[in-house]
Amino acid sequence: MPNIVVLVKRVPDTNAKITVSGGSLDLSAVKFVISPFDEYAIEAALRHKEANGGTVTALTLGSDACDKVLKDAKALGVDNLVRLWNQGWENLDSNGVQSALASAIGDLGSDVVYCGKSAADSNAGSTGPGVAERLGWTSVSNASAVSFEEAGVEAMIPTSSGQARVGLNFPCVVSMDKGEMEPRRPNVRGIMMAKRAVVEVISAEAPTPTVNVVRYSPPAEKPPGKTYEGAGNVPTVVQALRNEAGVI
Amino acid sequence: MTKWNKRGIIIQAPFAAIGEEMNFAETDEHSMIREMVREWAEAELTPTIEHRDANQIAPIEEWAAFAELGLQGITIAEEYGGMPVDDISEAIIIEELARVDASFAVFYCVHVGLCCKTISLHGTEEQKQKYLTQLGADKVGAYSLSEAGAGTDAAALSCKATLSEDGTHYKLNGLKMWVTNGASADIYVLFAKVTGHPDYGVKKHGGVTAFIVEKTFEGFTVGKKEDKLGIRSSDTCTLELNDCIVPVENVLGKVGKGFSIAMNALDNSRIGIAAQALGIAQGAFEAALKFSRERETFGTPIGRHQMITSYLADMATEIECSRMMVYKAAWAKEQHYENGAPRHSLEASMAKLKAGDTAMWVAERAVQIHGGYGFVKEFPVERFFRDAKITQIYEGTQEVQKLVIARNLT
Ligand SMILES: Cc1cc2nc3c(=O)[nH]c(=O)nc-3n(C[C@H](O)[C@H](O)[C@H](O)COP(=O)(O)OP(=O)(O)OC[C@H]3O[C@@H](n4cnc5c(N)ncnc54)[C@H](O)[C@@H]3O)c2cc1C
Repeated sequence: MPNIVVLVKRVPDTNAKITVSGGSLDLSAVKFVISPFDEYAIEAALRHKEANGGTVTALTLGSDACDKVLKDAKALGVDNLVRLWNQGWENLDSNGVQSALASAIGDLGSDVVYCGKSAADSNAGSTGPGVAERLGWTSVSNASAVSFEEAGVEAMIPTSSGQARVGLNFPCVVSMDKGEMEPRRPNVRGIMMAKRAVVEVISAEAPTPTVNVVRYSPPAEKPPGKTYEGAGNVPTVVQALRNEAGVI
Repeated sequence: MTKWNKRGIIIQAPFAAIGEEMNFAETDEHSMIREMVREWAEAELTPTIEHRDANQIAPIEEWAAFAELGLQGITIAEEYGGMPVDDISEAIIIEELARVDASFAVFYCVHVGLCCKTISLHGTEEQKQKYLTQLGADKVGAYSLSEAGAGTDAAALSCKATLSEDGTHYKLNGLKMWVTNGASADIYVLFAKVTGHPDYGVKKHGGVTAFIVEKTFEGFTVGKKEDKLGIRSSDTCTLELNDCIVPVENVLGKVGKGFSIAMNALDNSRIGIAAQALGIAQGAFEAALKFSRERETFGTPIGRHQMITSYLADMATEIECSRMMVYKAAWAKEQHYENGAPRHSLEASMAKLKAGDTAMWVAERAVQIHGGYGFVKEFPVERFFRDAKITQIYEGTQEVQKLVIARNLT
């Protein structure tokens, strides 16, 4: 039965207003959540287990502040919670993150890894393929649906001319897009399971970062919108759409 | 728990060692429960509340969907199909429901707090097997103490229960009033005076007995549904008992001991109503804050006018004060039931008094901040304003809370 791992990342809530002060991010009043695409990955992992048995392990890399998102995953039904962390990892770059995750996944003995196609904070989309590359495993990205076979998975992925159904043998990494599989919501029984759950903390080697953040700056402010009321303004709006916005 | 001496001086603060054990951080489980309920309420209650409020429709369909979260059984042990959570979680759930829909919040609060919890505390094994398993699934509970002539003065209730000659059942007669979930419920914890009890007619509450009554019992009819100012999506009804046949197995607790069961249930559930009030205040505040950022007068958002800023600051402060008191009362209740600490009556009454008054005051300020827009149904504060009032009336009026508080001080 498959040993399934799902990667989850703790990110600021996508509705949060993020401010920059003194060249660094101010996240003090921000709520943190599981990165939205990771919810699809959890859903895929849970359905995989429901179809073929096995175990689902949620894995994250981060400090103990990340235990909450692991517990969120537990409340949805994953079996095991593992957090990967070492002293001095506060500023790991993608290379470091992927190397550490790959080594942990190897240690966990997993057959298949699900992750979100990109994280809501960095939007880089490199973790799934990067981990697969380091492990030397098969991988696909942006899967909108998966079905489960005895020794692999079939995934629906976008192509230039539509969609393709591709087959992957274990071991493999599938990065999930928003698709047909609506992520489940927790219930109180799941939350009580999460309350009792223990997060296993493990460590790994990671290469020293070679990419460093020099400073953060906020994106340029959008100009304020314009409001017009009443049918009499239609010609003005049309003019504005044509001449100022250039959209028609 | 705070201990006051006779001169009103605090001799023990609520937390053992300030700086050591005092911890105001929400636990992960509390955050998860809050997020789950908030997301559900916004998705499932927001779209229908206006219509239900306008037409006095009980949230029966919403209740069926709500059951998926498993929260209907939080005051029921796991062996009867429930899923117990701590008392702070219960307060958080009710707060989050009321933030969106105060009617649904009281529907829930009465079910878990007054009905299920009372059966859990006083029921026999058979009663728990029979009724808690249903209430933890999809059946709705209610609590019926009040009558036309017996509200604050509950011991004045006049419904009578007479034991049948063969001793197998009681016949209940009379008219109960103000029953939340009156029409929606399937199972009622109902109070009547047993005429054959030695104290009947001797002591004022003599003979008061709690019964578990099913809607389908012979002689039981749901009467008039009240047309209300607020919480209009919660059905408040009269119940008519005409020789209503209740088997003796359905006596909850002991014959003649119903009055203390009733009072005990109320000061447990009072914290739930305080949480409802907190949620109403929070909902009204959020609406006012949003409006104050969007509405412009004299070329600036009204939230930048100093007077409006001052209202908002006071509102947020009063709400936070209520929240502290509600959670603390819930914590005190938990300490009472789990660790044998003294009863939480004082904390519960203080929380209800403060949160109820805060809900009313905040909702009124929220209407004021909206100006004319607060007076019409397009904006939710109009509803919050109407809904807030009930929190000063039921589960013990504010006057009763003051009596309880004062009694605990002298
Ligand atoms: C919407 C709604 C839902 C309800 N749901 C339920 C329910 O599910 N189950 C249930 O059993 N009951 C329910 N009630 C009843 C509610 O608990 C009573 O209305 C409440 O206890 C007040 O009783 P009363 O209406 O008879 O007012 P009264 O007791 O007549 O009080 C009138 C006024 O006098 C004051 N007063 C009374 N006695 C004193 C005193 N000794 N000192 C100072 N002031 C005093 C009161 O505070 C109040 O201001 C509900 C009521 C409403 C309106």
